[in-house]
Amino acid sequence: MVKLDQINISNDGLTKFFSPIEAAILRALWADGEMTTSELTGKTNIPLTSVAGTLDRLVKAGYTTRRTEKVNGRVRFMYEPVFSEEEAANEITTKILDSLVETFGPLAVENFSKYSDKK
Amino acid sequence: MNLVMGDIHCYGQCLRSWTPLVALFVVLSIALIAVSLMLPNPRKRLRIFLFAQSSGILAIALTYYVMECSEMLTLYLYSAYLLISTLMIFGVLRYYDRILIRRLGAKPAGSILNWTQEFVDMLTSAKLYYFDSAIPRAFASGRSIFISIGLLEMLDDEELKAVLAHEAWHIRHNSEMPFMKQLALMAFSSSSDPELESMADRFAAEIAGSEALLSARDKVDKLFI
Repeated sequence: MVKLDQINISNDGLTKFFSPIEAAILRALWADGEMTTSELTGKTNIPLTSVAGTLDRLVKAGYTTRRTEKVNGRVRFMYEPVFSEEEAANEITTKILDSLVETFGPLAVENFSKYSDKK
Repeated sequence: MNLVMGDIHCYGQCLRSWTPLVALFVVLSIALIAVSLMLPNPRKRLRIFLFAQSSGILAIALTYYVMECSEMLTLYLYSAYLLISTLMIFGVLRYYDRILIRRLGAKPAGSILNWTQEFVDMLTSAKLYYFDSAIPRAFASGRSIFISIGLLEMLDDEELKAVLAHEAWHIRHNSEMPFMKQLALMAFSSSSDPELESMADRFAAEIAGSEALLSARDKVDKLFI
């Protein structure tokens, strides 16, 4: 599932876990479902030259899938998110909680319960 | 046959207890060369290839130092090393496209866009393949032309023709390119010869029109070589 190799706590939103371009692509796919490359570049407002390598990486890492379509004699990719936003959020929180508990043991658990009491 | 076996036996005697080590280096060297051809990562490939070379040279050096009688085996091993290296270099140049097809998971482009293979057939005898990548790229190797789906997405038919003509020119003139230059281009695939590129471009402009070529260059400059 989601592979988190780097976490930047000081970044905003999804860019804590993904690069800004990856985050923009995932947000667009989560918002609108399936889309073509040109729709993606239009939605994210990022030029294709910057987005293409990231798309290859996201497919390879298993965040998105794509299929080749032929429409009116033109070949194009159709992208689809593999996880929904909720599934990704669930996966990310589980992974981070796991790693906190693994590193700090009971202290981490104690802090979680304090945290939920506060809420 | 008996003579050869006798020779091998004799070499075994002369190398004494070192025989297994020499044999190990020879086998290791051949195995590593085979592995290096399969690896997708160019840096790892180079590293493994260097290991293969070192172990081949070790086998030769070891034979030279521990051999007690005839020096012929050193010579044989050295000749075999030269022969295999030369064959490999020529073989890789000629059949590198086979390796690329497997590595990229490339498929015949005629199966998704019929006219593209027919267009290439008019210009040269080469097979056109497409591969799964969003990055627009095109290149020629051996007798094959490779284009990414990203390139197909981005270019219209006229621009694509210009790119295909450019690559077809490379295929036509590959065999005329000096051997060492081909090797250099392959080893450092990012660098390409500007003179050759402009000749290929001139041909492409003749076939597909300079307008199509310019707009293709405009869209994906540096991505087709």
